[in-house]
Amino acid sequence: MPAPRHHVIIGSGSAGFGAATTLRARDPDCRISLVTLSSLPFYNRYDLPRIFKGCHDWRDLLPIMPAKYDELGITLRRNSRVVDVDGKAQLVLFAHNERLHYDCLLVCAGGRGYLPEILADQRHLMHDFASFEAAMKVHDALPRRGTVIMLGGDMLGIDLALNLLETGYKVTLITTPQTFWPHRVDDDTHARLIAALEDKGVRVVGGSTPVAVEEGPPNGSARRVVLQDGTEIAGDVVMPFCGLVPAVEFMLSAGVDIERGLLVRPDLRTTGENIWAAGDVCQIWSDKEKEYKFYHGWRNVRYMGELAARNMTGSDEEFKAGKDRGIWLDDDNAIQSSFWEN
Amino acid sequence: MKKNGNGTDIQIAICGSAGDGTIAAGDILKRAMSLQGYKVIAFDLYPAEIRGFGKCISRVRISSDQTYSLKPQSDILISLNDPHAIPHVGEVRDYGAVIYEDMPIARVPEGGHISAHVRPAQIPYGLSIRYISEQATSSARSRNIVVLGYLAGLLAIERDGFHQTIQEKFKTKAKAIAEQNIKAFDAGYNLARGVFRLDTVAIRPPRHAKSGGDAVMMTGNGAVVRAFLDAGIETYFGYPITPATSIMERLTVEMPKTGGRVLQTEDEISAIAATIGAGYAGARAATATSGPGLALMAEMLGLGVMAEVPSVIVVSQRGGPSTGLPTKTEQSDLNMAVFGGAGDAQRIVLAPTNVEGCYKCAGKAFEIAEKFQTPVIVLLDLYLSNRYETVIPPKRNPFAPKPQKALAALGGNGPYKRFAAKPDHISPRAIPGEEGRMHTVTGLEHNELGRPSDLPEVHMAMSHKRHEKLKGALKLRDLTLCKRFGDDGPVDVGILGWGSTFGEILEAMYAAQEEGIRCSAMKVVMLSPLPRDKVAAFCDDCREVLVPELNYEGQFASLISGELGRPVTRLSQVTGAPMRVEEILQEVRQLSAKARPKRRRKKQDMGDERASEAGLP
Repeated sequence: MPAPRHHVIIGSGSAGFGAATTLRARDPDCRISLVTLSSLPFYNRYDLPRIFKGCHDWRDLLPIMPAKYDELGITLRRNSRVVDVDGKAQLVLFAHNERLHYDCLLVCAGGRGYLPEILADQRHLMHDFASFEAAMKVHDALPRRGTVIMLGGDMLGIDLALNLLETGYKVTLITTPQTFWPHRVDDDTHARLIAALEDKGVRVVGGSTPVAVEEGPPNGSARRVVLQDGTEIAGDVVMPFCGLVPAVEFMLSAGVDIERGLLVRPDLRTTGENIWAAGDVCQIWSDKEKEYKFYHGWRNVRYMGELAARNMTGSDEEFKAGKDRGIWLDDDNAIQSSFWEN
Repeated sequence: MKKNGNGTDIQIAICGSAGDGTIAAGDILKRAMSLQGYKVIAFDLYPAEIRGFGKCISRVRISSDQTYSLKPQSDILISLNDPHAIPHVGEVRDYGAVIYEDMPIARVPEGGHISAHVRPAQIPYGLSIRYISEQATSSARSRNIVVLGYLAGLLAIERDGFHQTIQEKFKTKAKAIAEQNIKAFDAGYNLARGVFRLDTVAIRPPRHAKSGGDAVMMTGNGAVVRAFLDAGIETYFGYPITPATSIMERLTVEMPKTGGRVLQTEDEISAIAATIGAGYAGARAATATSGPGLALMAEMLGLGVMAEVPSVIVVSQRGGPSTGLPTKTEQSDLNMAVFGGAGDAQRIVLAPTNVEGCYKCAGKAFEIAEKFQTPVIVLLDLYLSNRYETVIPPKRNPFAPKPQKALAALGGNGPYKRFAAKPDHISPRAIPGEEGRMHTVTGLEHNELGRPSDLPEVHMAMSHKRHEKLKGALKLRDLTLCKRFGDDGPVDVGILGWGSTFGEILEAMYAAQEEGIRCSAMKVVMLSPLPRDKVAAFCDDCREVLVPELNYEGQFASLISGELGRPVTRLSQVTGAPMRVEEILQEVRQLSAKARPKRRRKKQDMGDERASEAGLP
């Protein structure tokens, strides 16, 4: 009897988790390994702002209980950093010196927060929001009614900003070209969106680029951001929200085509044999627009994971992006975004 | 453990290969925690091999309240060697933690890294243990100490107790050794302080921290040694055998300090012969061995019984028969301890159930042996011999010194009758060399003067005397012979236990009570002569009696059913490991379910009787 196929999924976010459950439903006998850098089972990163509303137990964020993985026969490998993929030998190499053979590889590694190069040296003075642990560290670092200085303000950041305001914190948004990422907005819309944020209570600072993040004075706020024009803005926590960069470094020698993300066909197959990609890590070929495009947002990402899993198990479907409604203001002058839709 | 809801009760398992420093790390952990006032129970499992292969596990249970055994599930597992630790991942509870090396230097085969085995409900903490050790001390040898520091940092335990313990542990070595280890500990500790905790393992300040200074960590064998010394042992004869060897090793160091002598004999036969000889000469003498050694001692034990010479024999049981399982625990030498040997050779057998009991039994054994002029066996097992517990040593020496004038009450005229008949069947004992007390001692049956005799009336009288005198041991006031725990009065399930398994029995009993089961437990320390009346009274109170023990045959269960003529339920295991609380509890649940209908039926019968008395149909 042939050994069951081994599907290895790198990344346990919405795309990876959705792919794993779809694979199990379609192939009860296959072996599934879900590999992640995270210490936790899958939780929806978009739920992290709930931490500021009192949800401090990570177990409350899980869509399924951990025991369910055992029931589904999904091997979850956490704290596992993939450092290389050998596409010819069909091996995933871990930092902990283990090689894992795959029959079919799905890369859903997502992206990591982009940080303008000028600020890269000061990363240790900033808080990211990429994981439950990171979010809790922000929570713990913020004093009651404290101020978050948000650099950029992509749609993940905007969502957090609105949640922070609701829970009594203050937000100072320093705009950059990445504000409202991944949406591209014209100047007029940008102005209206900024006005809506100010209306909600966000202090918006624009017109000058942040050039440094520093520790605050001993008896003052913990941090300050220095702008190119010399302005100094004080706050308790500095958080960059400047969009995502696809996490593809470990795929450089895998024999697949990479531009910014992994280049995939509309069926999410990469140029490497038996390697697929889904989510924020990939750029999908659009026949209509004759270019590779990113499709961000929770709904797209989850859909990609499920679609890739179906195609890995015999389907032949193409990715069809839903209607992108972009970003807009509703009747209550509240910001709405297709990025947030699920 | 009786639950109080807000105390500390965590168990750490450290698993590595022989030579990884696994046992040393566990040793520092338990001593440091004991120093801070926590109650600690610890047990190490190690291979028969010395170094290079074979699994070592050190399990340490740390609690603010008294506990009686290790927990079936650990809260944290530390892996110093993944192939050995992987099978133990399953023993970590949900939302507990697994700490491991995340940068092994050698290539790991597929599935060979522990991260692939950590269950989704457990929390993985990977760290570069080797790298940190090399950074801190220029050597990878301190991996065990690095990971200990990481654990302490993760649990936010004060590091001073660990520093102190490390310094104490390495005090006989160059100062730099302790310093290097403290550096390694601090490196791990500092790293962990920045880690965000995801597990639900918590340690709270001990409530009785000030008692920490008085408490010491001691193994069963350590307690035996302490008791021997406090009781004024004068001579020790032994032949090394696992798991009793450490008794001789420590006595070799300690006894010469007080003028005592230790002799390693050529075998166990010589050891017991010399012990009986020393006892005959009036010295407080002892030996220690394990099952195979006791088998060799059987004939000489008979001499001790026949010649009525006091001696103390500590037996630490291990898996058998024959060479068996030298480094695994078992309770399968009960029959040999109680019955082994030629003829009707009843002797006194004490089986302590915890480390404190080891101290009391081993020390009192000398007094009992002298009082009843017979060999006394103190029956331990590997689990109890090697198990660490926090104990508070007594402020005063509880053991009576050897009587200086054994014959003070002898008096009388005529020839000295060494084996004279007395109302309590204990004859006046003289030490050889005492003027006017010349007598004969022999393994042959003998008359009151000690001279050989095969007359039927002599053999009958002397057999009667040798057995009857031991009944006096059942009246001893200053030693617990048996003790009941749990619910008073009639219960559904009674658990009868002996030796090291009683800790698990107590834990199971408290757990059963929390589930609403009427349950009691009795520990029997004196196995021979058996405190029959008290055991029978206990059994009479129980609808069902369960006897858990670590042997295949159910030796204690057979002893009880034979003595009391009543059936008991056996729970016998020979896994080489201590019995699991859950297994006892499961059996208790089943017996309780079986007992309940009986109770209902009985109530119904009583109701019918009352109805009948009232003239109702």
